[in-house]
Amino acid sequence: MSLESWLDFARGPLFRLCFSLMILGLLRILVLTILGMKEAWDRSADKIVPWRDLTVQTAKWLVPVSSLWRKRPIYSAVSVVFHAGLLLVPLFLPAHVLLWKRAVGFAWAELPQALADWLTLAAVAAGLGLFAGRVFHSAARALSRRQEYVWPLLLVVPFATGYLCSHAVLSPRAYQWLMLLHVFAGNLILLLIPFTKIAHCVLFPLSQYVSGLAWKFPPRAGQRVAETLGYADRPTWVERPRVATDRILTPTEEA
Amino acid sequence: MARVRRLKFFLWALTGLAAAVGVFRFLFGLGAATNLSDAYPWGVWIGFDVMSGVALAAGGFIVTATVYIFKLERFHVIVRPAVLTAFLGYVAVAVGLLFDLGLPWNIWHMLIYWNPHSPLFEVGWCVMLYLTVLTLEFLPVPAEEISRLASVRRFLVKIRLPLVIAGIGLSTLHQSSLGSLFLIMPEYLHPLWYSPILPVLFLVSAIGLGLAMVIFESHTTAYFYYRKPETHLMASLAAAARWVLVVYLALRFADLAWRGQLHHLAGAGWQVWWFWFELAVMAFVPIAIFSLPQTRRNQTWQWAGALFGVAGVVLNRVNVGGLMHQGRGDRLYWPSWTEITISAGIVSAAVLAFLFFIEHFRVWQERPVDPEADPRKLPELSAVGATWLGVPVVANRTVYSLAFVGAAALGFALIHPQPASSRGIVPVPVHNARGADVLWIDGNLDGYGVAFPHADHEKREGGKKSCARCHHMNLPRDKASPCGVCHRDMYAPSDAFRHDWHAGPRGAALPCVKCHTPGRPRTKETAKTCDQCHKDLVAEGAVIKVKQYQAPSYTEAMHRLCVGCHVERAASRHKPDMPRCAWCHKERRRFVDAPDLDFRGLRAPGSEVVLPPLPESKSKR
Amino acid sequence: MHAAILTDTTKCIGCRECVIACKKENRLPPDLPRRWSRDDGLSARNWTSVVEGPGGAYVRKQCRHCLEPACVASCPVGALTKTDLGPVVYDARKCMGCRYCMMACPYGIPRYDWDQTVPYIRKCILCYETRLKKGRQPACTEACPTKATIFGDRDELIELAKARIREKPDLYVHRVWGEREVGGASVLYISDVDLKFLTYNRELPPEPMPQRTKLAMNAVPFTFAGVVAAMAGLNWIIDRRRKLQEHPEGDEAPQEGRSNG
Repeated sequence: MSLESWLDFARGPLFRLCFSLMILGLLRILVLTILGMKEAWDRSADKIVPWRDLTVQTAKWLVPVSSLWRKRPIYSAVSVVFHAGLLLVPLFLPAHVLLWKRAVGFAWAELPQALADWLTLAAVAAGLGLFAGRVFHSAARALSRRQEYVWPLLLVVPFATGYLCSHAVLSPRAYQWLMLLHVFAGNLILLLIPFTKIAHCVLFPLSQYVSGLAWKFPPRAGQRVAETLGYADRPTWVERPRVATDRILTPTEEA
Repeated sequence: MARVRRLKFFLWALTGLAAAVGVFRFLFGLGAATNLSDAYPWGVWIGFDVMSGVALAAGGFIVTATVYIFKLERFHVIVRPAVLTAFLGYVAVAVGLLFDLGLPWNIWHMLIYWNPHSPLFEVGWCVMLYLTVLTLEFLPVPAEEISRLASVRRFLVKIRLPLVIAGIGLSTLHQSSLGSLFLIMPEYLHPLWYSPILPVLFLVSAIGLGLAMVIFESHTTAYFYYRKPETHLMASLAAAARWVLVVYLALRFADLAWRGQLHHLAGAGWQVWWFWFELAVMAFVPIAIFSLPQTRRNQTWQWAGALFGVAGVVLNRVNVGGLMHQGRGDRLYWPSWTEITISAGIVSAAVLAFLFFIEHFRVWQERPVDPEADPRKLPELSAVGATWLGVPVVANRTVYSLAFVGAAALGFALIHPQPASSRGIVPVPVHNARGADVLWIDGNLDGYGVAFPHADHEKREGGKKSCARCHHMNLPRDKASPCGVCHRDMYAPSDAFRHDWHAGPRGAALPCVKCHTPGRPRTKETAKTCDQCHKDLVAEGAVIKVKQYQAPSYTEAMHRLCVGCHVERAASRHKPDMPRCAWCHKERRRFVDAPDLDFRGLRAPGSEVVLPPLPESKSKR
Repeated sequence: MHAAILTDTTKCIGCRECVIACKKENRLPPDLPRRWSRDDGLSARNWTSVVEGPGGAYVRKQCRHCLEPACVASCPVGALTKTDLGPVVYDARKCMGCRYCMMACPYGIPRYDWDQTVPYIRKCILCYETRLKKGRQPACTEACPTKATIFGDRDELIELAKARIREKPDLYVHRVWGEREVGGASVLYISDVDLKFLTYNRELPPEPMPQRTKLAMNAVPFTFAGVVAAMAGLNWIIDRRRKLQEHPEGDEAPQEGRSNG
C-alpha cells in the first residue's frame, strides 16, 4: 500500500473506529460511574453526604484561578495553557473544521490561523514543561503512574507534527510521513481517552461526589464486621433492603 | 456461570454491532443498508426476522393449549419459558419489522386505514393483538415480584383461560396468514413451493417447529445454566412434534400430487435439490431422531433434532419468502453484512432479555444464582486506583458494556457513509472511442453507441487549432487525450487531477508550497487552480471552462459538450431535431457491424475487433 | 369512460419522447442505473421506459393499471386504490413502506425510493391528478410523435386494436395483451412480436390475482370463531371429565382411565 492509501485508511475507517470508541467509551464510563455512585449510595448506612460542599468544591476546581494558583503559580499557568491548546486547536483549527464539513456536511466557527498556530506552539511547550515537572519534581514523581509520563509526550506528538505539516517547507514524502504520524497519534489518543485518566474530561464533574460517597467506606470494613460477628472465614454479607434482589437466595440458604 | 457470562459477552457485542448498523440504516435508508432491490423487495429481514420469528414463537400457544386446555399438568413447568420465548419472539418480530419498513413511523396506520382484503393487514392485526395477549399472559410473572402489581396479577390469573383461547385463535390465524401472503404471487413462487394450501402448510409446520423450538430452548438454557435437563418431558414433546411433521410431509406431498406438480421432482435444476434439502432439514431428520426411542430419550439427540427443525423452518420461510421466487430478474438476492448483523443483533437482544427474565423472575421453578455474582458482597478498596465493587456488580457490566461499545465502534468503522447522490451507482469503467474520421463512442461497451463524425466536426470548428475547444484538461504535450483517461467512470464524477503526477517521487516532485499556501489547510480548495501554471490549458473560445479539479461523469461530460453546441446551432440552422437524443443515439449496433461508417484503417479484412457479445440486436428493417 | 392506453409496438420508433414527457409532467429528477435497478429502465424516477424486445422491437413499459390489481388487494393500509376513472393511484400519506405491492405485482412494476431516508412507492399513475381529472390525456400519449401509444376508452381501444389486427393479420400477433391476463388491464398492447418477455417469459393466468387470496381471507372470521369455539368446548369437556373423575356424581361412571390430570 502506498502512503496515500495508508493515510486514507487512517483518516477513514480507523478514525471512525477511534472516534466512535471515544464517544461511546466516554458515555459508557460516565454511566458506569453514575451506577457505581448509586451502588455506593445504596450501601452507605447513614446517607449523610455533604452535597453542597461537594458542589462548591467541583465549582472551585473548574475555575483555573484557585488555591492552586497561589501555591504553584507556574504549574497552574502551564496547565491552563496546555488545556486551552488541547481543547481549542483540535476542534476549531480551520483545517480540521474543513474535514468535518466534508465528512458530516456542516461546520462550525474556526479559530484564526495565527491564534491556532500560537496555541499549538504553546501546547507543545506546555506539554514538554509538564513532562519535565513530573520528572524533576520528587513529590510528583512519587505520585505518578506510568501513564502520567506517557500522556504529556503523546499529546505533544500530533501538535508538533501538525504544526510542521502546515508550516515547514517539506518534500511531499516527508509531509506524508509526518501527516501519517499526526493522524495515527491523534487516533491513538482518541482510542485511549476513555480508558485512561483522560476520561476526566467527562468524569470531572463527578469526581468530588465519587470521593464523597466512597469515603463512607473505611477500608476492610466488611471484614471487620465479619470478624466481630465471628464469621471471619466466610465471605462478608450485608442485608440490603431492596426489592429486586432481596428474593435471591443462595443455594445453601434455599436448601 | 462462566458459560452464561461468555454467552452474554458475545450477545452484547452482537447487539452493539447491530446498534451501530441500525443507526446507519435509519440515517441513510434501506438502499444503503441492504441488498434489497426493485426485483427483490423483501429479503432476510422479512424471511428470517418476521416469518421465521413468528413460526418459532409458536411454542407459546401450543404449550399454553397443552396445559390450560388439554390439562396436561406435567407440562406446567415449561409454560413460563414457552410464553416468555413467544413474547420475546414477537417483540423481536415487531422490532425487525421496524427496520424493514420504509416508513416505520407509519406502522400504526394499520389501525386506522383498513384493507381487510390484504393478508398482510390480517397478519399485522393478529400479531398486534397476540402480542398484547402474550404480554398479559406473561405479566403475572414479573408481577409476582412487584407488590404494587398484586391486584393486576390476581385479575390476569382470573382471565387466563379466555386469554389462552384468544391466543390460540389469533395464532392459528396469523401463522396461516403468513402463508396466505404468497398466494397472490403464484407466477413468482416456484411450483414446488407454491400451493393453494400454503396457509395450512405454514400453520402445521409452525406447530411442529414451535415444539422443536421449545425443546431447543430448554436444552440450550440448561446447558448454559448447568441446569438439570428436562429430557423426559422433552421426549414427549419430541414424540408429538414427530407426528405433526409427518402430517406436514403428508400434506405437502399430497398437495403436490393433487395439483399434478410431482413431475417437477424428476426435473433437473438446483431448486429440486434445494427442495429435498429443505425437507430433509425440516422434516426427515427431525422425524428420524424423534422416532427412534434411543435418540428420542437422549438429551443431545433431542437438542440436535430440535436444532435441525429450527434451521429447517428458517430455511422454509426464507425459501418461500424470496429465495425460491423466479422471474424477478437475473440477479439473485443475497443479504448484505449489515442486514445479517441487524437480524443477529435483534436475536441477541431478545436472548439477553430472555436471560434477564430468567435471572430476575421465576420463569423456572428456581432462579439461577451465580455464586460469584452475589450483589451483597462488599466492595474491595485499594489504596490507589479503582474501588472494586466485586465481580457481581462491576465486572459483568464493565465487560458487557465494553463488548457493546467496542462492537458498536467497529460497526461505525466498517460502515462506509456515502452521500445519498452516489449511493447504489454501479461503477462502469469508461472505454475510449474507436475509429478515425467517424468515432464510435460507446463508453460502457453496451452496444448503444454514438457515431461521432470527428473529422467533420474538426473541419467545421476550424482545423487543428480547434482541438482544445473540446479536448480540455489534456495531458502534458498531448493535444487530444482520450476521454477515458480522466473520466474513468461512466456515471460517477471523477478526478481530473493527479496529485502523484505533481508531487510524487516519480512525478514532478514539486514541493508542497508550489501549489498550497503555507499555513492554510492543504486541500484542493485552497490550492492554485490548474490554469495558474498550465497557461495554455484552456484554449481561446473553449466550450468547457475549468473551474474545479473535479471532472463530471463521462456521460455528463459528453452531453454537456455536445448538447450545448447543438442547442445553439439548432436555432441558427433551423434544425430543431439537433438537440434531441435520437439525433446522435440512433440505434443499437456493434462497432464492427456498422457498414455505413467509415472506420478508416480499422476494418482491414479479417481483422476482428474484440468486443463483448451483445444480446440479440439485429436491425429491424 | 374507463381511461386506457393502447400501445402499438409496430409504430414505436423508440424515440423516448413519452419518457421525457412523463419525467417533465411528474417533475422526476434525473436518474442513473443503480445497484437496485431492474434491467428495464423503470425506477422510482422513471415511471415509463422503452425497452427493446425480440427482433429489436421497441416496447413501452409502464404500469398496466389492472382492472383487479394485485397491488391494491395486497396493500395492508389501502394506500393504493383503483379509481373509477381507471388509473391505480397511490396515497403516500397512508403508505408504511412494507413493499408487499412490489412483491405482489405480476408485472413487477412498482419501484422504490431505495436511496431515500423517507422512501415511497413510485409508479405510473396515468397523470391522474394533473391531467386525467381535468379531462386531459396523459403526457406520454400526448407526446408520442407516431401515435404508437394512444389514449382512449378501454372498450373502444380494444375494438380499435382488434380492427388493426384484422386489417393486417400478417403483421400482428393475434392477441391484445391486457385484455384478459390477470383479469384485464387498462393498458393494452398489440405487437408483431410475443410480449412474454415483459413478464420475464411467464405466461400470466386469466384469473385475477386477488382471487387467489380471497378464499383464505374469507375463511379468516370462520377459522377464528371455529378455533375459539373448539377450544372453549374442549376445555369444558375436559374440565367436566376431570370433575367426574374426582367426584363421580350419581350414576355417571368415571370415563375410562385416561389420565388428563
